[in-house]
Amino acid sequence: MGKEYLGEFEELVLTMVGILGEEAYGNAIVQEIKERLGREANLSAVHVTLYRLEDKGHVKSRMGGASSTRGGRRKRIFTITNAGVAMLKVMKEARTDLWKLVPQLKVVSV
Amino acid sequence: METGAATESCIRLTMSHQNHPSKRMLRFLQWFCPPALVEGIEGDLLEAFEYDLKEVGAKRARLRFIWSVLRFFRLEIILRNRFSIQFINTIMWGNYFKVATRNMAKRKLYSFINAIGLSIGIAFCVLIYLYVEDEKSFDQFHHNKDQIYRLNESSYSVWAAQRGEDPMHKSAYLPLPLGTAMKDEIPEIKYLTRFNDGATAIFRYEDKVFTERITFVESDFFKMFSFPILAGSADQLFKDKHEIVLTPEIATKYFGKDDPMGKIITLDLQGEKQFTVTGLIEAPPSNSSLSFKILVSTENQFSYERNREQWGNFSYPTFIQLHQNANLTDLKQKADKLIEQKMGDRLERWRKDGNIPEGYPVFELTYTNLADIHLDTEVSWEKVSDPKYSWILGGIALLIILIASINYISLALTTSASRKIEVGIRKVVGAQKKQLVSQFGMESMVLAFVSLLIGLSLAFLFLPAFNEFTGKGIVMGDTNLIRLIGVAFTTAMVVGLIAGSYPALFLSGFLPAAVLKGGFTSKLSAGFTKPLVVFQFFLSASMIICSVIMNRQMEFVATKDLGFDHEQVLVIPTQTGWNEEADKVVEQFRNKLNTETSVVHVAGTSSSFNQGWSRYGYKIKEENKSAYVYRVDPAYAGLLNLEFIDGRNFDESIASDSTGIIINEALARDMGWKNPLDEYLNWREDSVGLGSKVIGVVKDYHFLSLERDIEPMFLSMDKKNTGYLTTMLVKLSPGEISDKLERVKKAWTELYPDKPFDYTFMDQDVANQYQTYKRWMKITSLSTSFAIFIACLGLFGLAGINAINRTKEIGIRKVMGAELSNIFVMLNKQYIWLAIIAFALAAPVSWYVMNKWLGSFKYAIPMSWELFAVSMLTGLVLALLTVSYHAIKAALINPAETLKYE
Repeated sequence: MGKEYLGEFEELVLTMVGILGEEAYGNAIVQEIKERLGREANLSAVHVTLYRLEDKGHVKSRMGGASSTRGGRRKRIFTITNAGVAMLKVMKEARTDLWKLVPQLKVVSV
Repeated sequence: METGAATESCIRLTMSHQNHPSKRMLRFLQWFCPPALVEGIEGDLLEAFEYDLKEVGAKRARLRFIWSVLRFFRLEIILRNRFSIQFINTIMWGNYFKVATRNMAKRKLYSFINAIGLSIGIAFCVLIYLYVEDEKSFDQFHHNKDQIYRLNESSYSVWAAQRGEDPMHKSAYLPLPLGTAMKDEIPEIKYLTRFNDGATAIFRYEDKVFTERITFVESDFFKMFSFPILAGSADQLFKDKHEIVLTPEIATKYFGKDDPMGKIITLDLQGEKQFTVTGLIEAPPSNSSLSFKILVSTENQFSYERNREQWGNFSYPTFIQLHQNANLTDLKQKADKLIEQKMGDRLERWRKDGNIPEGYPVFELTYTNLADIHLDTEVSWEKVSDPKYSWILGGIALLIILIASINYISLALTTSASRKIEVGIRKVVGAQKKQLVSQFGMESMVLAFVSLLIGLSLAFLFLPAFNEFTGKGIVMGDTNLIRLIGVAFTTAMVVGLIAGSYPALFLSGFLPAAVLKGGFTSKLSAGFTKPLVVFQFFLSASMIICSVIMNRQMEFVATKDLGFDHEQVLVIPTQTGWNEEADKVVEQFRNKLNTETSVVHVAGTSSSFNQGWSRYGYKIKEENKSAYVYRVDPAYAGLLNLEFIDGRNFDESIASDSTGIIINEALARDMGWKNPLDEYLNWREDSVGLGSKVIGVVKDYHFLSLERDIEPMFLSMDKKNTGYLTTMLVKLSPGEISDKLERVKKAWTELYPDKPFDYTFMDQDVANQYQTYKRWMKITSLSTSFAIFIACLGLFGLAGINAINRTKEIGIRKVMGAELSNIFVMLNKQYIWLAIIAFALAAPVSWYVMNKWLGSFKYAIPMSWELFAVSMLTGLVLALLTVSYHAIKAALINPAETLKYE
């Protein structure tokens, strides 16, 4: 097996964790995806992806403080690790390199 | 957990009921979600819910919540649960198994007690399963069983109505022309056959002469039922009246190794006739309601020709097979119409004559599917059996299993002291309660499976005896073997689980600190054992009481003075059929035996005890009455030693005696006669004469079984109206029977060389009336002994542990000067109390059960307190004997031995 690889949704969630910083938890990521991309993400899918990223070492999690809005339940806050940032970078660079190889054609409307 | 509880109340405060997310879904989430993740997920879900509440309203928010939770129920989440605990468990199983076997080996006596009890229980379960399976398998082997029905008639019985019973009486016997008409006129019927069993005839081939049981059927029989035809063709059989079909057993008996087909034999059916063997048919299996050895066409039956037009003669059981797609309801309607058309006038007349009230049908045709015949107790039929017996047997098996399980539980609890340290150590090194439960559970499983093996072999061993007891012919074949092992396996599993669970929970609950510190006293440690022992005693005590009462009743039945002398009497059929010839045979045989000193009397009668009876109904002053009638000769009363309380016996020399009758007291009472000798009984409803003159009155005697009252009866010499002397009674002089019997037989063969000499003993005939009761008494006695045996084993174990637990106490008591007897009493006192409590509980229960059982006898022993006292004493003595061994052993130990380590 070569280098680790991230799926599209995984990359998206990981990026969101990076963007949200200290406020990255399940619901916030769902909201963020919706606001920024207009895409409806499913809460359970986001959770499952976060756990998978955690397994791979791209994010780490800790329990935040309790608040009354969530029925008193604490948030599981995810933060991106160095490995996660590096991974995002590698993915982005790889994409940019590939992009460069594509002949710079104009998008022509038919 | 605590935060969870707090937040729930918080939610309750801040939200109205409607704005509450589904609690059930939350619990569901908590159940499947790994504990580490649940809080974060729950929080997110609740947050989303609150958001939705504002955005889309309560109803949709709740729905979305449920949907979101469900979407979390996915493998990626569920598999995040740590299954590592179970993984460790499988590693430990090897150790558990080792410890279990070591423990069993260490305490051989207790392992033995437990294993024996459980294996007997399992053996019983297996046998009873076989019994029930056999009951259910009756007649299932016929391919056409769904289309085959037995016809029954349901008719109003005046006698039953008089006795206050259900007046509708069901019977399988039908008039001959009804079947013929049904087959001709109802298109739904494909095949029809009569099936008359129970007749006997003299069968002769060359020099071989025996009386054989004959069964009359018709040609359709071979097409309807799936008894394999071994030779001959099912389509061709019984085209001719003089064909005979045999089972291989009979064929070998008469023809040896020769091919039976085409052989010509002689049957004496109201005169000798020749029959040709045209078929061989396999003998019916033991689970067939139809049994036969020799098949002959119905046309050969006595007065077949006459009965073809007799709509009032109910003597032909009839089976029909419907066409594949025919409907039984259609058939019923057509049959009812047919009966109305053919028998309508007759039924009206019967209604008038019999005083049958409106609203009750005079005669009604009902249908029993072939597969249901065996368990249909409403219609009497060979081998018919009451499903309640299956329940009784099942109950007995359950009781035995229960007693054995209680042994296991109480022994496990009381020996728990020695396992305390093990439990403590295991807990200290990190065993969880769950693991300990599975360890002890496993121990009981190991025991259960050892018992399973022993139990199965016991079942194999007991099967022949069991067959004899229940009158069945069950074979352990390969078809039921797998299911059988399945049953045994399930029983073992269930017992292992149930009996093992309580001790497992109890033992695993010890606190390590408390048990490892030491210094615990060990008495009967678990409070739960006492009720268990009482319950066990209660079961055994009830069984003891029941079997004592049953045995007493059977003894009573066997020894009760029946009012006539039935010892040393041979009962010999005259082998003539229902005709004048019979009377001649009796006369000839009497003359022949005249010189024989070992023969005291020879008498003739129409039927002997337990060999059938006839009963006449008659109307006197508009009142329905009935009496049993026996055709006898003058020697009859003398032979039976009947006691005349009025009048005299028949006298051949007085011509008028041929129409006179001798009545019993019951008849005189029934008629309300003060001076019976002045009376006439007009039992034939003679409109001209007065009827039969009463010439004598005999003291009541039990001509029926003790299940029945002594009902009105009379003896008559009137051969025209009461029949012929088809049975001969030969009274032998007292003493050894065998050579006298030999002489009687010799006289018979000299007189009638071509008739077989068949005989029974009258006392055996009389005793045979109670065969079913005896069989059930035997079964109860046997299972009672097993139950008591197992219970005693358990008690023995308990007493042993108790004595060991108290060795130091006993030592101190002895040092303080206690006598052996004091210690004996001290150790046994508690068991006596337990036994007494158990008996107090068992007495009313068994009283109730036995009251019902005795209710089936009109003559029963009273249930006196002595019976209960005897049972209780037996039980107590047994219990004392069991516990004494340990008590005496413990009391005899030198106190120095037990106290030297203190």
